[in-house]
Amino acid sequence: MNEITLDVNGTPHKVAVEDTTLLLDALRRRVGVTSAREGCGVGACGACTVLAEGRSVSSCLAVAVRYDGTPLTTADGLPEDDPVVSSFVDSDAMQCGYCIPGFVLMTKELLSENPSPNDEEVSDHLEGNICRCATYPEIIKAVRLAAKRSAT
Amino acid sequence: MTEVLPDAQPAGTRQAETEPRYGVGERRKRFDALGRVRGTIRYTGDEANPPGTAFVGVHRSTAPHARIVAVHTEDALAIEGVLAVVTGRDLHEVLGDRIYTGPAFADQPCLAVDKTRFVGEAIAAVLATDPDIARAAADEIAVEYEELPPVYDIDDALRGEAFVHEELRPSSVFADLAHLHGVRGTNVNYEYRQILGDAAAERERAATTVSATTWAPPTHHVPIELPSTSAWVDSGRLEMLSTTQTPSYVRQTVSDLLDIPLSRVRIMTRPLGGSFGCKMYDRLEPLAAALAWTTGRRVRIDATREDAFLLTTRHGARVTGSMSADADGNIVAVTSDVRYDTGAFADVGPRIAAKSGLVAPGPYRIAAVDVRSRCIYTNKVSAGPFRGFGVPQVTWSHETLIDELARELGEDPYRFRRRHLLREGDIATVGTKMHSADFLTCIDEVTKAVGWDDPTPRGDGRWVHGKGVAVGMKAVLTPTIANATLNLNQDGSATLLISTVDMGQGSDTIMSQIVGEVLCLDSRRIHVVRADTDATPYDTITAGSRSTYHTGNAVRLVAEAMRSKLLGFAAERWGVPADELVLDAQGVVHEAKELRDSLPDLVRAKFGARGATVTTAENFTSWWVPYDHDTGLSEKVTEHWFAGAAAVRLAVDTWTGRIRTQHLAIAGDVGRAINPTLVEQQLTGAAIMGIGHTLFDEMVFDQGQITNATMLDYQLPSIKDLPEKLTPVIVESAHRDGPFGAKGVGETTILPIAPAYAGAVRDACGVRITTLPLTPERVLNHLADAADPGKAGR
Repeated sequence: MNEITLDVNGTPHKVAVEDTTLLLDALRRRVGVTSAREGCGVGACGACTVLAEGRSVSSCLAVAVRYDGTPLTTADGLPEDDPVVSSFVDSDAMQCGYCIPGFVLMTKELLSENPSPNDEEVSDHLEGNICRCATYPEIIKAVRLAAKRSAT
Repeated sequence: MTEVLPDAQPAGTRQAETEPRYGVGERRKRFDALGRVRGTIRYTGDEANPPGTAFVGVHRSTAPHARIVAVHTEDALAIEGVLAVVTGRDLHEVLGDRIYTGPAFADQPCLAVDKTRFVGEAIAAVLATDPDIARAAADEIAVEYEELPPVYDIDDALRGEAFVHEELRPSSVFADLAHLHGVRGTNVNYEYRQILGDAAAERERAATTVSATTWAPPTHHVPIELPSTSAWVDSGRLEMLSTTQTPSYVRQTVSDLLDIPLSRVRIMTRPLGGSFGCKMYDRLEPLAAALAWTTGRRVRIDATREDAFLLTTRHGARVTGSMSADADGNIVAVTSDVRYDTGAFADVGPRIAAKSGLVAPGPYRIAAVDVRSRCIYTNKVSAGPFRGFGVPQVTWSHETLIDELARELGEDPYRFRRRHLLREGDIATVGTKMHSADFLTCIDEVTKAVGWDDPTPRGDGRWVHGKGVAVGMKAVLTPTIANATLNLNQDGSATLLISTVDMGQGSDTIMSQIVGEVLCLDSRRIHVVRADTDATPYDTITAGSRSTYHTGNAVRLVAEAMRSKLLGFAAERWGVPADELVLDAQGVVHEAKELRDSLPDLVRAKFGARGATVTTAENFTSWWVPYDHDTGLSEKVTEHWFAGAAAVRLAVDTWTGRIRTQHLAIAGDVGRAINPTLVEQQLTGAAIMGIGHTLFDEMVFDQGQITNATMLDYQLPSIKDLPEKLTPVIVESAHRDGPFGAKGVGETTILPIAPAYAGAVRDACGVRITTLPLTPERVLNHLADAADPGKAGR
């Protein structure tokens, strides 16, 4: 067992984990984060996405001990008036919503690297995330709107 | 296109000049949009596990068809943290043959007892203190098998040398299957026939006949939320929280399984993270109930993605069909031999065989038809409901046939269809009159959107271009039952109790819009209670695109009953006849006497209390005329029809076989859009799912075993698979009995996608592909074969 600190949305959580405990399991079972979700267990759907120092990580493949003390962001840690959050809401960019937090965080990462992406750059960045309801048209609208809102 | 309904303004209400109420026809946001975006709404698997929860790991069969000689559980039991190991035989000793459940046939044991029928069938369950321990221990169970001859596919099954089930065991759910009880020596568990006129004679006389055998492979739903079920016993009652679209059905199943009254079973739900048909009927629920009941422990079963692929699939289907025209181009005959591979359990396959068999000829004016639609057992993962309920597979056949027939006759595929499509008041081949199924507007709109008559680009030699069109027709699930209970709160807000499950389609949002419209309330003040069989009333299922119409009607009725009740309160208070009163956004008013009361004041005056509630309850039930035993015809086979169309312009890379979608337009007749935004999402979402089924989506089996049951190997549409242009068109041909004219929409546009694409590929490069999916490899093989006339099509 290892005592580590998971710094989630600015709040430190001391948790005991095995060497092999996955970041997703540590977040869900120990910290109580439910916005990161297991969809595939093999890093192929993006539902478990979290940001570590602003960079996207598939938490279903990541080992928790590697993130001791690393600032982590999960979608529930974003405020209501976050430009990406409000753009997804205003674009109706959700159906069942299960995958959407992953898309929100991927969009945060994209816009931090590239504040005004074109459509191809948007789809290049989001292609690893699966929305089975296929809300893709609305997600693209949301990313465009978020870029506009982030710029002002 | 929007048809204005004469009765859109219900009697006794009046439109007032106020702020928006977010009623019927408005693009209201989902009430929980922010929670869905930030991930704060809670799904089933997000609920905390109380101390003492036993996590379940399942040991699965490695043999497609075998007698179970022995199950060795000692090694698993020896692992620290393992609480119990339960086998099918253990459960059978307590529950007897009641452990065989299923919506059509009682053929699904929650754990296999004496025989296993597919690779992946649940054989034994481990209960442990931790989910990882449970799964590891399940791997330590060893099973001795005595292998039996396997039935891998439809051809094996119809040869009739080995049988997946020794005898047919219809369940008590569908009375019309009772005659199949005890039938032995067959893998065909159900056959639907549709006979209209003399198709053989008409075909003989016809000027032109085209034939095709089509194949649509099994596919998987893959909602991103994995199935999860918790069950426990509380004061002699079995309580359950589960990812299900069918809480009322599950309640009955658990009651039958445990032989306890319905009042001692409680099924609770949360919003589903997608489903598309895979979280309904008997999934994890019978096993969870049996384990909780027999061990007394609180159990939780979480399916892994690999497990989820083994719970259900979409039916693979082969259709051998023909379509014939006379010298004037009239369609005189259609024949269709439909074979659904239902796997090891019938599930709802017999219903799929019938409900899709009845539309197998297509939505056309046809003189004579002969349809035979069979549901067939094999030793594979069981197939069940999937968005479209078997109809995409038969649409793939009839749209392939009519496209070829048009080309054979030298006619335009759009105009040839248009000439023959069923119109309002026509009688479909099944014998039922058409109403509110505007195929003509659907096909006109999609062809207009893609510029059907514009010249098709000539291409550059490598890329070739083509256009295709198709329609799809489906009957809504009938008969079904919906109930609604409405509590109007004294403050003028309301709480609606229904058992429709919101799985992303937005049913909670549109149901509140219907209540708001009737009661002149802001629909955002209406809360819809999550299905919970202790509180919300019986509703057949959330499936088959039935909820907007059926539950929507129950909701309309319950709101109208509430309006009458409130007008009655005011009439009593003011001593005036109720029919002189009107309800508007400010409350109840008597204009002549200038009397007015807000709803909060009215309710408070009635009961003398703040916070009081007024309750109404209503039922809506649809009816049908069962198929004629010999002909399969019915003058009312369904409450209403779904009509959809798709048109596509695409380019085929003749070097790689890759297909690029330049413009896809889809249209669905929804009667009336209660919420146009949510309707458009259903139209585009179903179409994109259909693109997957068309181009790459497929479960691959090798000797009965799935070889691509992970999301690395199973390809799904991503944002990269979006058409370059996608146009959804809402067609509104109001249904006379729909709530405000509305019908459902969840499946309409998944029906015509594959044949529209295949027609466009035919148009682009001259090859007719009849096997899905249209992978680059398959396209290239057809191109190569076309270039070499010595080879047959592959």
